[in-house]
Amino acid sequence: MTATTPSEKSIYQRIFAILPLLRKPRNFFFYILPFSIILGRLIPPSTAATFNDAGVAMVQIIAFPAIPLVLTAVMISIANIFSVSERSREDRFRFSSRFVVSLSIALLFGSVLALLLSLYQAPGVLSPDAKLSIGRFMLDVTDIRVGEIPIVESTVNSLWIANIIPSNIFADASSGQTLKVISGSILAGLAISRLKRDLTQPLITLLRSVNTISVQLLYIVLNLAPLVLICLIAGAVSTINAEIVVALLNFTICVFLTAVASLGVSRLVFRRFTSSRERAGLNVNPVDSIFLLSLSTGSSMTAYPLMFQTLKSMGRDESEVEASASLSLLIARLGNVTYNVIAIIFALNLYDVALTPFRLAEVAALGIVTGISAAGLTGVATVPTIAVALLYFQVPAPPVLVLLLAIDPILTLPRAATTGVLAMSISVISSVRSSPASDSNPSDTNLGLLAQSSDDSVFEVG
Amino acid sequence: MFRLLLRFLLTALCAVFLLFPLQVCAAENSFIDEIQQRGFLKVGLPPYNTPPAYYLDPGSDDLQGYDVDLATGLAEKLGVDVQFDRSSTSFNELVQRVGADDFDIAIGKLGLTYKRLFDAFPIQYLSFRHALLADRSFISSLGTDPDDPKFGDVLRNAKMRVGSIENSTWETESRANFPNAEFVGFKNWSAAKKALTNHDAKSDGPKIDAIYRDATEIKPIVYEKPVLSLKFVPILFDDIIDRKSIYLSEKGKVGFSDFLDNYLKREWGGIKSDKNILDDFQAFYLPSDS
Repeated sequence: MTATTPSEKSIYQRIFAILPLLRKPRNFFFYILPFSIILGRLIPPSTAATFNDAGVAMVQIIAFPAIPLVLTAVMISIANIFSVSERSREDRFRFSSRFVVSLSIALLFGSVLALLLSLYQAPGVLSPDAKLSIGRFMLDVTDIRVGEIPIVESTVNSLWIANIIPSNIFADASSGQTLKVISGSILAGLAISRLKRDLTQPLITLLRSVNTISVQLLYIVLNLAPLVLICLIAGAVSTINAEIVVALLNFTICVFLTAVASLGVSRLVFRRFTSSRERAGLNVNPVDSIFLLSLSTGSSMTAYPLMFQTLKSMGRDESEVEASASLSLLIARLGNVTYNVIAIIFALNLYDVALTPFRLAEVAALGIVTGISAAGLTGVATVPTIAVALLYFQVPAPPVLVLLLAIDPILTLPRAATTGVLAMSISVISSVRSSPASDSNPSDTNLGLLAQSSDDSVFEVG
Repeated sequence: MFRLLLRFLLTALCAVFLLFPLQVCAAENSFIDEIQQRGFLKVGLPPYNTPPAYYLDPGSDDLQGYDVDLATGLAEKLGVDVQFDRSSTSFNELVQRVGADDFDIAIGKLGLTYKRLFDAFPIQYLSFRHALLADRSFISSLGTDPDDPKFGDVLRNAKMRVGSIENSTWETESRANFPNAEFVGFKNWSAAKKALTNHDAKSDGPKIDAIYRDATEIKPIVYEKPVLSLKFVPILFDDIIDRKSIYLSEKGKVGFSDFLDNYLKREWGGIKSDKNILDDFQAFYLPSDS
């Protein structure tokens, strides 16, 4: 009995030790991706739904710490930044203006970059064979049914701003209303910043504790990422129509090119807006790590702890990093902005709509608006946000959405990577080095716990 | 000798009864009796080719299709041959002629309209949803999401140009179901399809927005040329059903409707939906490789 227990334990240990190793982006490309594709080709299509359900269930677990993380990070950082006693008016204005300006520039840049690459790559300009493949794929799928009994009751149309205004922060958090949680946290953070420190300290300590636990929890559940990818990719490969992927190759390449271009620009931004002294302690470029981590998990939010840890260790102001990283990751959704611009150009090309300079400007603007409207949504749920733009251009939305959804299991990865690296750029531009006093007095336990996991593969660079 | 002759006569009589029972046992139903006396069932068919319902086989020039098979099966049950008449110039004329006793039955995916009920008596055998094949750009221009429950009403009240076969039930149905639409009649279905999918302003006139018929005619258009799915979309009306019927005269209604009804239930398998037909005759609707 006593002899078997250690051996069993070591087996479990070995099994669980494999998962963090598989999280390395290098292993994602060399092992997980090929294995998932082969598995997807081998499994019968009837089992694809089971694989997909398992993957989605694990994604739900990975997303589970996101809401408390967002809520606490935003609330603490806003409270610190706007605290009258701790910061001067100039400091508050400097951060706010830098953040807003860098966010706006990043949105504009993302949109224009995607627009230029779309014009170069011309997604939606299809060969006759590609049109035939798409036509076959659409048979029966896009038919319009009139007079059938609606399965779901139609929702009452409300003003879009109602989706942002918080009602009850706990109810919003429990119902996954991320946008309402963010706005509620900002308001609560502002309220905390107006109060005396001794009154708010217990709450700040509690929030900090929740935040630290959420980060730690994210590390634990991130171990499931390889299994998530295997399930989702195998399920998608088993059912995805290879013809469609080939037919939409230009579109797919364009999305990947945008992600790579965003990486290049973010590297430049990181180099330009950090001093050599700040970079001295880094062995690798953290932008690469964020890109690969987001790409390999399909979730930009998983890059948040890495962004925070990196910029904090470089001596950046903790509160500013916390606020800029969480807000830019959650609100700007730059991956969705670039993706939506490409998707709109794809739809316009598909339906032979002339691309005049004015229309291109409209595409860029609508790409930004619809991309931001994806805030709070994840994965495939973000795709239908372009329907508003398609309706504006009077381009048939259902067939375009059907095509985009068909290849989304692949494109969700570069989309997340684009969001991750451009959010890092915003954070690098908008945050500044903290004062020597605060450098010598770390106010939370976050760093300690993150350092505890610093040997983890999250910080590994492929 | 006399007894031998008597035996021979009795044997011959028995043989005649055994070999030609129907001819000898005349039906009490005068309508059926008349058919049996004539020796063939007179069936009126539309003058068009509508595979897989009724069409001339290009190779053999024989009439084929499920409507043809149904009529042939009926004749077999009556113990007579079948004779098809395709001389009517339109669907409506065909129904008028069966009402005037020119045929025993009229068949050929004939829809049900008030006007036709003035002329003849229907027995339903198919239940097909009404359908449009519409230009996607036109649907987008309506400004209502097709998933919106209001879409049906918006479409029905839209100002559009709807094409179909002239002097058919679709002309009547178009006016009833799309009150603000302009109906454009075409000589045949091929001309209507061409006017939508391969419009030529010189020969087809102003562009039409949609063509209108039942689901078994609309769906095959995109099955045959899947590339059309990009530009055109089938719209299926679950709440507007075309009750395709076999038409009888007044005499036929009295004398033949029970026989026909029994045949449809037992041999035909009840009233078939457009989905049943599309499934049963997949070979006709498979996408072409071209």
